[in-house]
Amino acid sequence: MADKVVIWVHGDCLAPNNPALTAYEGSPALFVWDDALLESWQISLKRIVFMYECLLELPVIIRRGDVAAEVLAFAKEHGAVKVATVTSPSPRFKVIAAEIEKAIEVELWEVEPLVDYDGELDTKRFSRYWAVAKEFAFGRG
Amino acid sequence: MRETKDMRRDFANRDELIAYVKAEFPKAVAVDDHVSKVKGGRAAAKRLMERIDPQTYAQTRNKLHGAVTKLSPYIRYGVVSLVEVREKALDKVRRRRNDAEKLINELAWRDYWQRVYARIGERIWSDQEDYKTGFTAHHYADFLPEDIAEGKTGLNCIDGFAKELRETGYLHNHARMWTAAYVVHWRRVKWQAGARWFLSHLLDGDPASNNLSWQWVASTFSQKPYIFNRENVERNTNGIYCKGCALYGHCDFEGSYERIERELFPNMPASIARPVDNPSRPFSSRPYKGGKKPKGRR
Repeated sequence: MADKVVIWVHGDCLAPNNPALTAYEGSPALFVWDDALLESWQISLKRIVFMYECLLELPVIIRRGDVAAEVLAFAKEHGAVKVATVTSPSPRFKVIAAEIEKAIEVELWEVEPLVDYDGELDTKRFSRYWAVAKEFAFGRG
Repeated sequence: MRETKDMRRDFANRDELIAYVKAEFPKAVAVDDHVSKVKGGRAAAKRLMERIDPQTYAQTRNKLHGAVTKLSPYIRYGVVSLVEVREKALDKVRRRRNDAEKLINELAWRDYWQRVYARIGERIWSDQEDYKTGFTAHHYADFLPEDIAEGKTGLNCIDGFAKELRETGYLHNHARMWTAAYVVHWRRVKWQAGARWFLSHLLDGDPASNNLSWQWVASTFSQKPYIFNRENVERNTNGIYCKGCALYGHCDFEGSYERIERELFPNMPASIARPVDNPSRPFSSRPYKGGKKPKGRR
Protein backbone atom coordinates (compact mmCIF):
# COMPACT_ATOMS: atom_id res chain seq x y z
CA MET A 1 0.00 0.00 0.00
CA ALA A 2 1.31 3.43 -0.93
CA ASP A 3 2.39 5.84 1.79
CA LYS A 4 -0.30 8.24 2.86
CA VAL A 5 0.02 11.73 1.41
CA VAL A 6 -1.69 15.03 2.10
CA ILE A 7 -1.64 17.92 -0.37
CA TRP A 8 -0.88 21.49 0.62
CA VAL A 9 -2.55 23.89 -1.78
CA HIS A 10 -1.26 27.48 -1.54
CA GLY A 11 -2.12 30.75 -3.23
CA ASP A 12 0.15 30.27 -6.22
CA CYS A 13 -1.45 27.01 -7.37
CA LEU A 14 -5.25 27.35 -7.20
CA ALA A 15 -5.99 25.15 -10.21
CA PRO A 16 -8.06 21.97 -9.87
CA ASN A 17 -5.50 20.37 -12.19
CA ASN A 18 -2.40 21.49 -10.31
CA PRO A 19 0.24 18.76 -10.54
CA ALA A 20 0.09 17.79 -6.84
CA LEU A 21 -3.70 17.43 -6.89
CA THR A 22 -3.46 15.46 -10.14
CA ALA A 23 -0.71 13.15 -8.87
CA TYR A 24 -2.59 12.31 -5.66
CA GLU A 25 -6.18 12.59 -6.77
CA GLY A 26 -8.51 11.81 -3.89
CA SER A 27 -5.93 12.48 -1.19
CA PRO A 28 -6.85 14.96 1.55
CA ALA A 29 -5.94 18.51 0.54
CA LEU A 30 -5.64 21.66 2.64
CA PHE A 31 -5.52 25.40 2.00
CA VAL A 32 -4.55 27.71 4.88
CA TRP A 33 -5.26 31.45 4.93
CA ASP A 34 -1.99 33.02 6.06
CA ASP A 35 -3.40 35.58 8.50
CA ALA A 36 -0.03 37.21 9.16
CA LEU A 37 0.58 37.69 5.44
CA LEU A 38 -2.89 39.10 4.80
CA GLU A 39 -2.27 41.68 7.49
CA SER A 40 1.28 42.47 6.49
CA TRP A 41 0.29 43.04 2.85
CA GLN A 42 -2.90 44.88 3.91
CA ILE A 43 -4.97 42.68 1.64
CA SER A 44 -8.42 44.14 0.95
CA LEU A 45 -11.72 42.25 0.98
CA LYS A 46 -12.07 41.90 -2.79
CA ARG A 47 -8.85 39.91 -3.06
CA ILE A 48 -10.00 37.43 -0.42
CA VAL A 49 -13.41 36.98 -2.06
CA PHE A 50 -11.73 36.31 -5.41
CA MET A 51 -9.41 33.71 -3.90
CA TYR A 52 -12.23 32.12 -1.93
CA GLU A 53 -14.17 31.64 -5.15
CA CYS A 54 -11.14 29.93 -6.66
CA LEU A 55 -10.92 27.66 -3.61
CA LEU A 56 -14.55 26.61 -3.83
CA GLU A 57 -13.76 24.88 -7.14
CA LEU A 58 -11.00 22.82 -5.51
CA PRO A 59 -11.34 19.67 -3.38
CA VAL A 60 -9.73 21.31 -0.36
CA ILE A 61 -10.38 21.80 3.32
CA ILE A 62 -10.00 25.50 4.15
CA ARG A 63 -8.42 26.65 7.40
CA ARG A 64 -6.53 29.70 8.65
CA GLY A 65 -3.65 30.72 10.90
CA ASP A 66 0.00 29.64 10.98
CA VAL A 67 0.41 27.81 7.69
CA ALA A 68 3.19 25.38 8.61
CA ALA A 69 1.50 24.45 11.91
CA GLU A 70 -1.84 23.89 10.21
CA VAL A 71 -0.33 21.75 7.45
CA LEU A 72 1.51 19.63 10.00
CA ALA A 73 -1.63 19.22 12.12
CA PHE A 74 -3.57 18.20 8.99
CA ALA A 75 -0.90 15.66 8.03
CA LYS A 76 -1.06 14.22 11.53
CA GLU A 77 -4.87 13.99 11.47
CA HIS A 78 -4.60 11.88 8.32
CA GLY A 79 -1.60 9.86 9.40
CA ALA A 80 0.33 11.13 6.39
CA VAL A 81 4.05 10.54 5.88
CA LYS A 82 4.43 13.09 3.10
CA VAL A 83 3.14 16.53 2.10
CA ALA A 84 2.88 17.16 -1.64
CA THR A 85 2.71 20.69 -2.99
CA VAL A 86 3.57 22.90 -5.97
CA THR A 87 6.71 25.08 -6.07
CA SER A 88 6.61 28.88 -5.86
CA PRO A 89 9.29 31.58 -6.19
CA SER A 90 7.89 33.29 -3.09
CA PRO A 91 10.43 33.51 -0.24
CA ARG A 92 7.60 33.00 2.25
CA PHE A 93 6.71 29.73 0.52
CA LYS A 94 10.30 28.57 0.95
CA VAL A 95 10.28 29.42 4.66
CA ILE A 96 6.98 27.59 5.26
CA ALA A 97 8.03 24.55 3.21
CA ALA A 98 11.31 24.38 5.17
CA GLU A 99 9.38 24.56 8.45
CA ILE A 100 7.12 21.68 7.38
CA GLU A 101 10.10 19.68 6.19
CA LYS A 102 11.60 19.70 9.69
CA ALA A 103 8.81 17.28 10.66
CA ILE A 104 7.76 15.48 7.49
CA GLU A 105 8.86 14.93 3.89
CA VAL A 106 7.79 17.63 1.42
CA GLU A 107 7.42 16.64 -2.21
CA LEU A 108 7.55 19.52 -4.69
CA TRP A 109 5.75 19.48 -8.03
CA GLU A 110 6.31 21.96 -10.80
CA VAL A 111 3.84 23.48 -13.19
CA GLU A 112 5.02 23.18 -16.79
CA PRO A 113 7.06 26.37 -17.40
CA LEU A 114 6.40 28.74 -20.30
CA VAL A 115 10.09 28.62 -21.12
CA ASP A 116 11.16 25.00 -20.90
CA TYR A 117 14.89 25.57 -20.84
CA ASP A 118 17.36 23.93 -18.47
CA GLY A 119 20.27 26.30 -18.99
CA GLU A 120 21.05 29.53 -17.17
CA LEU A 121 18.86 32.52 -18.13
CA ASP A 122 20.32 35.98 -17.57
CA THR A 123 17.58 37.94 -15.78
CA LYS A 124 19.44 41.24 -15.34
CA ARG A 125 17.18 42.76 -18.01
CA PHE A 126 14.21 41.38 -19.94
CA SER A 127 16.03 41.86 -23.23
CA ARG A 128 18.84 39.54 -22.14
CA TYR A 129 16.35 36.94 -20.90
CA TRP A 130 14.25 37.18 -24.07
CA ALA A 131 17.26 36.81 -26.36
CA VAL A 132 17.49 33.20 -25.13
CA ALA A 133 13.95 32.51 -23.89
CA LYS A 134 12.26 33.48 -27.17
CA GLU A 135 13.33 30.23 -28.79
CA PHE A 136 11.53 28.20 -26.10
CA ALA A 137 8.56 30.41 -25.16
CA PHE A 138 6.44 29.28 -28.11
CA GLY A 139 6.61 25.62 -27.14
CA ARG A 140 7.33 22.80 -29.50
CA GLY A 141 4.00 22.49 -31.27
CA MET B 1 -6.17 17.60 21.56
CA ARG B 2 -5.53 20.50 19.25
CA GLU B 3 -8.61 22.24 17.93
CA THR B 4 -8.99 23.03 14.24
CA LYS B 5 -11.85 24.74 12.55
CA ASP B 6 -12.68 24.14 8.92
CA MET B 7 -13.97 27.19 7.15
CA ARG B 8 -17.25 27.05 5.25
CA ARG B 9 -17.65 25.87 1.68
CA ASP B 10 -21.44 25.54 1.47
CA PHE B 11 -22.62 28.85 0.10
CA ALA B 12 -25.97 29.12 -1.67
CA ASN B 13 -24.80 32.14 -3.66
CA ARG B 14 -22.14 34.85 -3.96
CA ASP B 15 -23.85 37.18 -1.49
CA GLU B 16 -23.72 34.50 1.18
CA LEU B 17 -20.02 33.95 0.53
CA ILE B 18 -19.32 37.69 0.70
CA ALA B 19 -21.21 38.04 4.00
CA TYR B 20 -19.21 35.15 5.46
CA VAL B 21 -15.85 36.51 4.27
CA LYS B 22 -16.72 39.95 5.66
CA ALA B 23 -17.48 38.42 9.05
CA GLU B 24 -14.33 36.26 9.07
CA PHE B 25 -11.87 38.87 7.78
CA PRO B 26 -12.74 42.17 9.48
CA LYS B 27 -9.19 43.49 9.02
CA ALA B 28 -9.48 43.10 5.23
CA VAL B 29 -12.85 44.88 5.38
CA ALA B 30 -11.15 47.71 7.28
CA VAL B 31 -8.52 48.04 4.52
CA ASP B 32 -11.29 48.34 1.93
CA ASP B 33 -14.71 46.71 1.73
CA HIS B 34 -15.39 46.72 -2.01
CA VAL B 35 -16.05 43.42 -3.78
CA SER B 36 -15.08 43.08 -7.43
CA LYS B 37 -17.50 41.93 -10.11
CA VAL B 38 -14.67 39.74 -11.36
CA LYS B 39 -15.44 36.22 -10.19
CA GLY B 40 -12.72 33.82 -9.12
CA GLY B 41 -12.34 30.24 -10.30
CA ARG B 42 -11.27 28.19 -13.27
CA ALA B 43 -14.69 28.18 -14.91
CA ALA B 44 -14.55 31.98 -15.18
CA ALA B 45 -10.95 31.81 -16.43
CA LYS B 46 -11.89 29.30 -19.12
CA ARG B 47 -14.64 31.58 -20.40
CA LEU B 48 -12.07 34.38 -20.78
CA MET B 49 -9.63 32.00 -22.48
CA GLU B 50 -12.24 31.31 -25.17
CA ARG B 51 -12.34 35.03 -25.91
CA ILE B 52 -8.59 35.48 -26.44
CA ASP B 53 -7.96 37.27 -29.74
CA PRO B 54 -4.18 37.49 -30.20
CA GLN B 55 -4.25 39.59 -33.37
CA THR B 56 -6.62 42.26 -32.05
CA TYR B 57 -4.71 42.15 -28.78
CA ALA B 58 -1.48 43.03 -30.58
CA GLN B 59 -3.12 46.01 -32.27
CA THR B 60 -5.14 47.44 -29.39
CA ARG B 61 -3.68 46.34 -26.07
CA ASN B 62 -2.28 49.77 -25.18
CA LYS B 63 -5.76 51.28 -25.40
CA LEU B 64 -7.78 51.23 -22.20
CA HIS B 65 -10.60 49.59 -24.12
CA GLY B 66 -8.34 47.35 -26.17
CA ALA B 67 -8.69 43.57 -26.50
CA VAL B 68 -6.74 42.64 -23.36
CA THR B 69 -7.40 39.18 -21.96
CA LYS B 70 -8.24 40.09 -18.32
CA LEU B 71 -6.62 36.78 -17.37
CA SER B 72 -4.02 38.26 -15.02
CA PRO B 73 -5.84 37.48 -11.72
CA TYR B 74 -6.25 33.85 -12.76
CA ILE B 75 -2.65 33.54 -13.92
CA ARG B 76 -1.45 35.13 -10.68
CA TYR B 77 -3.02 32.40 -8.52
CA GLY B 78 -2.09 29.61 -10.89
CA VAL B 79 -5.76 28.99 -11.75
CA VAL B 80 -4.56 28.75 -15.34
CA SER B 81 -0.93 28.32 -16.35
CA LEU B 82 1.06 30.40 -18.82
CA VAL B 83 1.40 27.29 -20.98
CA GLU B 84 -2.38 26.82 -21.09
CA VAL B 85 -2.87 30.44 -22.16
CA ARG B 86 -0.13 30.15 -24.77
CA GLU B 87 -1.59 26.99 -26.23
CA LYS B 88 -5.07 28.55 -26.40
CA ALA B 89 -3.62 31.64 -28.10
CA LEU B 90 -1.73 29.52 -30.64
CA ASP B 91 -4.88 27.49 -31.35
CA LYS B 92 -6.78 30.71 -31.97
CA VAL B 93 -4.32 31.73 -34.69
CA ARG B 94 -4.12 28.17 -36.10
CA ARG B 95 -0.60 27.80 -34.73
CA ARG B 96 0.77 30.72 -36.79
CA ARG B 97 3.35 31.90 -34.26
CA ASN B 98 3.74 35.41 -35.66
CA ASP B 99 0.07 36.16 -35.04
CA ALA B 100 0.39 35.32 -31.33
CA GLU B 101 3.87 36.72 -30.81
CA LYS B 102 2.84 39.89 -28.96
CA LEU B 103 0.61 38.03 -26.52
CA ILE B 104 3.22 35.35 -25.86
CA ASN B 105 5.81 38.07 -25.33
CA GLU B 106 3.57 39.49 -22.62
CA LEU B 107 3.22 36.05 -21.02
CA ALA B 108 7.00 35.91 -21.02
CA TRP B 109 7.11 39.12 -18.97
CA ARG B 110 5.22 37.28 -16.24
CA ASP B 111 7.67 34.37 -16.50
CA TYR B 112 10.57 36.81 -16.38
CA TRP B 113 9.35 38.63 -13.25
CA GLN B 114 8.82 35.28 -11.51
CA ARG B 115 12.39 34.23 -12.32
CA VAL B 116 13.76 37.50 -10.97
CA TYR B 117 11.66 36.99 -7.81
CA ALA B 118 13.09 33.51 -7.37
CA ARG B 119 16.57 35.02 -7.61
CA ILE B 120 16.17 38.03 -5.31
CA GLY B 121 13.49 36.89 -2.80
CA GLU B 122 12.66 39.48 -0.14
CA ARG B 123 14.93 41.98 -1.88
CA ILE B 124 11.95 42.46 -4.19
CA TRP B 125 11.14 45.31 -1.74
CA SER B 126 14.57 46.95 -2.11
CA ASP B 127 15.83 49.23 -4.86
CA GLN B 128 17.58 46.96 -7.31
CA GLU B 129 19.67 49.89 -8.52
CA ASP B 130 19.97 53.62 -7.82
CA TYR B 131 17.33 55.98 -9.20
CA LYS B 132 18.42 57.46 -12.55
CA THR B 133 16.43 60.64 -11.96
CA GLY B 134 19.18 62.79 -10.50
CA PHE B 135 17.64 62.20 -7.05
CA THR B 136 18.59 59.62 -4.44
CA ALA B 137 16.12 57.43 -2.54
CA HIS B 138 16.01 59.77 0.45
CA HIS B 139 14.56 62.53 -1.74
CA TYR B 140 11.40 60.44 -2.06
CA ALA B 141 8.61 60.35 0.56
CA ASP B 142 7.98 57.12 2.44
CA PHE B 143 4.19 57.20 2.37
CA LEU B 144 1.50 57.56 -0.24
CA PRO B 145 -0.25 60.94 0.09
CA GLU B 146 -3.90 60.52 1.09
CA ASP B 147 -5.27 62.54 -1.79
CA ILE B 148 -3.90 59.94 -4.22
CA ALA B 149 -5.35 56.90 -2.45
CA GLU B 150 -8.66 58.68 -1.95
CA GLY B 151 -8.87 59.87 -5.55
CA LYS B 152 -8.85 63.55 -4.66
CA THR B 153 -5.91 64.96 -6.60
CA GLY B 154 -8.19 66.86 -8.96
CA LEU B 155 -6.65 65.06 -11.95
CA ASN B 156 -9.55 63.21 -13.57
CA CYS B 157 -7.37 60.42 -14.92
CA ILE B 158 -5.40 59.67 -11.75
CA ASP B 159 -8.51 59.97 -9.56
CA GLY B 160 -10.41 57.72 -11.94
CA PHE B 161 -7.69 55.09 -11.79
CA ALA B 162 -7.60 55.22 -7.96
CA LYS B 163 -11.36 54.70 -7.85
CA GLU B 164 -11.26 51.85 -10.35
CA LEU B 165 -8.44 50.18 -8.44
CA ARG B 166 -10.34 50.39 -5.16
CA GLU B 167 -13.70 49.31 -6.55
CA THR B 168 -12.73 46.63 -9.07
CA GLY B 169 -9.26 45.42 -8.12
CA TYR B 170 -8.20 45.83 -11.73
CA LEU B 171 -6.38 48.46 -13.76
CA HIS B 172 -5.35 48.31 -17.39
CA ASN B 173 -1.58 48.09 -17.73
CA HIS B 174 -1.26 51.56 -19.21
CA ALA B 175 -3.25 53.04 -16.31
CA ARG B 176 -0.91 51.27 -13.88
CA MET B 177 2.10 52.84 -15.61
CA TRP B 178 0.64 56.34 -15.64
CA THR B 179 -0.43 56.07 -12.01
CA ALA B 180 2.96 54.73 -10.94
CA ALA B 181 4.83 57.45 -12.82
CA TYR B 182 2.59 60.11 -11.26
CA VAL B 183 3.19 58.76 -7.75
CA VAL B 184 6.95 58.36 -8.07
CA HIS B 185 7.98 61.19 -10.40
CA TRP B 186 5.38 63.92 -10.13
CA ARG B 187 4.78 63.47 -6.36
CA ARG B 188 8.26 62.14 -5.58
CA VAL B 189 7.08 59.23 -3.44
CA LYS B 190 9.07 56.01 -3.01
CA TRP B 191 7.91 53.28 -5.37
CA GLN B 192 7.50 50.95 -2.37
CA ALA B 193 4.60 53.08 -1.07
CA GLY B 194 2.83 52.83 -4.40
CA ALA B 195 3.56 49.12 -4.72
CA ARG B 196 2.03 48.44 -1.28
CA TRP B 197 -1.08 50.39 -2.30
CA PHE B 198 -1.50 48.37 -5.50
CA LEU B 199 -0.85 45.10 -3.67
CA SER B 200 -3.72 45.81 -1.27
CA HIS B 201 -6.20 46.12 -4.08
CA LEU B 202 -5.14 44.42 -7.30
CA LEU B 203 -6.77 41.01 -7.73
CA ASP B 204 -3.62 40.02 -9.62
CA GLY B 205 -1.35 41.64 -7.03
CA ASP B 206 1.89 39.73 -6.80
CA PRO B 207 5.21 41.12 -5.51
CA ALA B 208 7.04 39.93 -8.61
CA SER B 209 5.11 41.65 -11.41
CA ASN B 210 3.89 44.48 -9.22
CA ASN B 211 7.06 45.59 -7.43
CA LEU B 212 9.39 45.07 -10.35
CA SER B 213 7.09 47.04 -12.64
CA TRP B 214 7.02 49.88 -10.10
CA GLN B 215 10.83 49.68 -10.00
CA TRP B 216 10.90 49.78 -13.77
CA VAL B 217 8.85 52.99 -13.78
CA ALA B 218 10.91 54.46 -10.93
CA SER B 219 14.19 53.62 -12.74
CA THR B 220 15.56 51.42 -9.96
CA PHE B 221 15.24 48.45 -12.33
CA SER B 222 15.69 50.16 -15.69
CA GLN B 223 17.96 52.59 -17.44
CA LYS B 224 15.79 55.66 -17.08
CA PRO B 225 12.51 56.76 -15.50
CA TYR B 226 9.21 56.20 -17.31
CA ILE B 227 7.14 59.32 -17.90
CA PHE B 228 4.10 60.18 -20.01
CA ASN B 229 2.22 63.26 -21.16
CA ARG B 230 -1.40 64.30 -21.48
CA GLU B 231 -1.50 63.59 -25.20
CA ASN B 232 -0.52 59.98 -24.48
CA VAL B 233 -3.31 59.57 -21.89
CA GLU B 234 -5.86 61.26 -24.12
CA ARG B 235 -5.01 59.14 -27.15
CA ASN B 236 -5.09 55.82 -25.33
CA THR B 237 -8.27 56.51 -23.38
CA ASN B 238 -10.32 58.09 -26.17
CA GLY B 239 -10.18 61.22 -24.06
CA ILE B 240 -12.65 59.94 -21.47
CA TYR B 241 -10.67 61.39 -18.57
CA CYS B 242 -9.46 64.57 -20.22
CA LYS B 243 -12.97 65.52 -21.37
CA GLY B 244 -14.51 67.38 -18.47
CA CYS B 245 -11.30 67.54 -16.42
CA ALA B 246 -11.13 70.91 -14.67
CA LEU B 247 -7.38 70.92 -15.29
CA TYR B 248 -7.59 70.26 -19.03
CA GLY B 249 -5.01 72.34 -20.91
CA HIS B 250 -3.05 73.16 -17.78
CA CYS B 251 -2.62 69.84 -15.95
CA ASP B 252 0.67 68.41 -14.68
CA PHE B 253 1.05 66.30 -17.79
CA GLU B 254 0.94 69.01 -20.48
CA GLY B 255 3.74 69.50 -22.96
CA SER B 256 6.44 67.52 -24.67
CA TYR B 257 8.29 64.66 -23.06
CA GLU B 258 11.49 66.67 -23.26
CA ARG B 259 9.97 69.56 -21.35
CA ILE B 260 8.38 67.32 -18.72
CA GLU B 261 11.64 65.49 -18.27
CA ARG B 262 13.54 68.74 -17.74
CA GLU B 263 10.99 69.92 -15.18
CA LEU B 264 10.76 66.66 -13.26
CA PHE B 265 14.45 65.78 -13.29
CA PRO B 266 16.50 68.98 -13.33
CA ASN B 267 19.52 67.12 -11.97
CA MET B 268 19.32 64.13 -14.28
CA PRO B 269 22.76 63.32 -15.70
CA ALA B 270 22.97 64.10 -19.41
CA SER B 271 24.18 60.57 -20.08
CA ILE B 272 20.82 59.24 -18.85
CA ALA B 273 18.67 61.88 -20.53
CA ARG B 274 20.02 60.73 -23.87
CA PRO B 275 17.54 58.80 -26.00
CA VAL B 276 17.13 55.12 -25.28
CA ASP B 277 16.87 53.28 -28.56
CA ASN B 278 15.14 50.13 -27.51
CA PRO B 279 13.08 50.59 -24.38
CA SER B 280 11.76 47.46 -22.75
CA ARG B 281 8.66 47.69 -20.64
CA PRO B 282 7.02 47.50 -17.24
CA PHE B 283 3.59 46.32 -16.09
CA SER B 284 3.16 45.13 -19.60
CA SER B 285 2.82 47.91 -22.10
CA ARG B 286 5.12 49.85 -24.39
CA PRO B 287 6.32 52.88 -22.52
CA TYR B 288 7.90 56.07 -23.61
CA LYS B 289 11.31 56.36 -22.00
CA GLY B 290 12.89 59.08 -24.03
CA GLY B 291 14.21 58.96 -27.54
CA LYS B 292 11.72 59.00 -30.35
CA LYS B 293 8.28 59.99 -29.21
CA PRO B 294 5.68 57.40 -30.19
CA LYS B 295 3.43 58.85 -32.85
CA GLY B 296 -0.11 57.49 -32.85
CA ARG B 297 -0.66 53.83 -33.53
CA ARG B 298 2.26 51.66 -34.28
